Amino acid sequence: MSRGPRTEITTALQRSRGWLAFGVVVRAVIWAAATGALFVALVALTDLFIPIPIGARRALLAVDAFIAAGVFGFLMWRDRGAAELPRVALWIEERVPALRFALVTELESGGAARFVAPGAAQPWPGMARRGALRVVAFPVAALIAAAVGLMVLPAGSVARAASPRSGDSVIRTALARVGVSVNRLDPLALEITPPAYARRESSRVDDPAAVRALPGSRITFVGRGAASGVRARVTAGDRSTLVQARQAGDQWRIELTASATPTAVALSDGLHARVVDLEPERDAPPAVSLRAPVRDSVLALPRGTIALSAQATDDIALAEAHFEVIVSAGEGETFTFRTLTLGARTINAPSATIVAALSLDAAKLHPGDVLHIRAIATDGNVFSGPGVGTSDTRVLRIARPGEADSVAITPAAPPDTNQSALSERMLIQLTVALKARRAGLDRRTLLTESHSVATDQARLRRTVGDLVFARLGGEPSGEERTPDQTDARGDTLRDLLARADRATNQSIQTLDFDGGETPVVAVNAPLLEAYNAMWDAGGALEQGDLEGALPHMRAALAAIERSRAAERVYLRGRAPDVVVDVARARLAGTEHGSSSVRTPRLPVDSARDALASRLSSILARAVVSPATLADSLLLLRVEALSDQPEFASALGDAADALRKGQGERATTALVRARRALAGPIIVRRSIAGWSGAGQ
Amino acid sequence: MTRAPAAMSEFVFATAQYGSGDWDSAPLLPANIIDSVARYTSIAVAPTGATAPLATPLALHFPLLYLTGHLPVRFSDNERRNLSEFLRRGGLLFVDDHNHDVDGVFHKSATEELTRVAGPLHDLPNDHPLYRCFFKFDGPPTTSQELNGWGDNLVHKHLQAVMAGDRISVLYSSKDYSSEWDYHPESKRFQSVDNTRFGVNIVVYALTA
Repeated sequence: MSRGPRTEITTALQRSRGWLAFGVVVRAVIWAAATGALFVALVALTDLFIPIPIGARRALLAVDAFIAAGVFGFLMWRDRGAAELPRVALWIEERVPALRFALVTELESGGAARFVAPGAAQPWPGMARRGALRVVAFPVAALIAAAVGLMVLPAGSVARAASPRSGDSVIRTALARVGVSVNRLDPLALEITPPAYARRESSRVDDPAAVRALPGSRITFVGRGAASGVRARVTAGDRSTLVQARQAGDQWRIELTASATPTAVALSDGLHARVVDLEPERDAPPAVSLRAPVRDSVLALPRGTIALSAQATDDIALAEAHFEVIVSAGEGETFTFRTLTLGARTINAPSATIVAALSLDAAKLHPGDVLHIRAIATDGNVFSGPGVGTSDTRVLRIARPGEADSVAITPAAPPDTNQSALSERMLIQLTVALKARRAGLDRRTLLTESHSVATDQARLRRTVGDLVFARLGGEPSGEERTPDQTDARGDTLRDLLARADRATNQSIQTLDFDGGETPVVAVNAPLLEAYNAMWDAGGALEQGDLEGALPHMRAALAAIERSRAAERVYLRGRAPDVVVDVARARLAGTEHGSSSVRTPRLPVDSARDALASRLSSILARAVVSPATLADSLLLLRVEALSDQPEFASALGDAADALRKGQGERATTALVRARRALAGPIIVRRSIAGWSGAGQ
Repeated sequence: MTRAPAAMSEFVFATAQYGSGDWDSAPLLPANIIDSVARYTSIAVAPTGATAPLATPLALHFPLLYLTGHLPVRFSDNERRNLSEFLRRGGLLFVDDHNHDVDGVFHKSATEELTRVAGPLHDLPNDHPLYRCFFKFDGPPTTSQELNGWGDNLVHKHLQAVMAGDRISVLYSSKDYSSEWDYHPESKRFQSVDNTRFGVNIVVYALTA
């Protein structure tokens, strides 16, 4: 099948459209590139005369990209017709009038009629190609001009405009200052390379006054010009060293290693000098938290496995972590120890969880042994460390045989207190029943039965008394045995109290029974109260006064119930509390000596006064030589960093403001520094109270 | 019963109580030192000692804290904070290794904790004012535990200390004074030379330095 004329014309038109579209795109790209390059050249040229801050340069770079994109977009939008076949046909018809709109008609007719002879198409198929090449000529020329301009400009300035970055002040070429300034300390850049263990990126700082760096960081000062004559005096504490600059291309460099103490670096170049503070960035030790075991405990048997778990975190990175288990065995003055290490693992992350299993069988523990368990983590600080963090310690003790409370498994009779409660309840019921029958009884019978209940009540009272005696370790014979000894009650109570007092062995003072301040009395007070109530009830029953006896009997029952419900206090043995007879030791009888006169200690914070004095001195000298004020403040800042961080911060702000010529801000910072030293304001009365003068 | 002294009109010998270990392993030592202070000085002294739990601010009421034990010393955060505050306020902490063993866990754990709280320990020169502030000594007096080969079988020539300026902040002993002085003061009459005299120096130094 042969291709018809319409197909050939359409194909030629499509080819022309392709060329025209190519030309439009290429022209837009080149114009955008040329515009961007010209803008960069303009910024670089401006930077030659006026140093543009890095923030402004970054903003201008963004503006540059925006303009270039705008140019590209504008051109593409304006010439969008190149993508449409009718517009391309019209574009050709405009330039080849001989076609007499034949191409447009051909397209619009859809090939229904043959308006264009193949021979008539001969002049226009190459026209689009030539047009596409022609339209890119001018933008290419503009691009070449911009490139030439960039090449003519100093490479440092172009780099500052094209790729702004911290620390590029030293590569700036200042045309306006050529031959005027020979200060090789301005501009000054500083490169900080953290130690390898920190795994941080290097950073650069322009025109530094004070920088923070991890101890062990590589600090490199970079400036323009020859290295000869440029030096740095590095002062850290009492030590001071002199470091000479070395040449690196057209720059000088001074390299230091950041120490763990605040350091002042005084750079000098002939008559020029400046001070830079190096503040150590603290590498905190790891924080370790022991999650399991949760609490201290006593184990009945040294068998089984105990799960250990701990969480460790570090501000930079952990290096290693493990569990330490100290096993102490023995008692009294003889102890032996051994240390176990469990779950040790190497870590290369800021946080980690360590787990381990402590086998009590494998540890070969014995009754009485004590396990002290804690987790330990170290960080990767190889310069000033490693920092070691430890968790709290958990103590697990293996119980000794016989130390645990015994458990009675043989059914036993109810305890005495319960028996007493039952008995008292029965006596109450007997009394209530007797009271109900009283109307039908004569006086003698009533008294006989009431005496019988009174006898049981007295027996129960003696039982309760013996119970208290038994608790105090005494003999039950302390209670009277005959109901006729009515005056024995007071003696017995006093005896009970005295026994309770002796049993506590706490004080030599009179026991305050009502306060119940000793554990023994506190436990036995309800029983003693029941004892009293039973005595009163017994007295009433002896006289046949049933109404008078019942309240006391019920009070006795309630007291016994309280005693049953009371918390048991198990007293532990303790060392005797030796009271030294000071007067006897001094052979001074009852005379008391006078204590020696103590010399008051000096105020602790004399360093603060020294700093205030130094600051005043520096400010006084500033009147004579204001140029050195910033450096002097920075030197003082280094000394104050450790003890007076707020004061040091204010001094740093003041020095920074002075270097930037911001007098008001510097004054504010110095006022803040003085207030930081002075401490909180203390308000005192300025006028003394009225003394009565004039009366 | 532990109680804070109402006023510091008299010296109270305080034993530091910490959560781990056997802090009360020398129960008679306080009475013995109190007896010696009363016997040889005119310092107003309380007739009984006190227990100062390091986990509470009560420890800050005393000028001198005595700390001993056999078992590992692991301070809690509260104990560490209060002890640090106690030292910052000028208190003197007297630590004695009841094991008399520089390879023992008390020594290792206590020195580790003290280093963490107060700084590293250094040998105290034997001509330090501590040895001359009341009785005169040529250095720390030896103990029978040292001479009889207990513990590490060493006679320690120096005490150790953490200094706060020119003043002792922490006094550390590996000589086991806790065993040497842990007897009832009534038993002193059987000794030809009172071996607790150095304890008087420690008290006097704590009150006057």
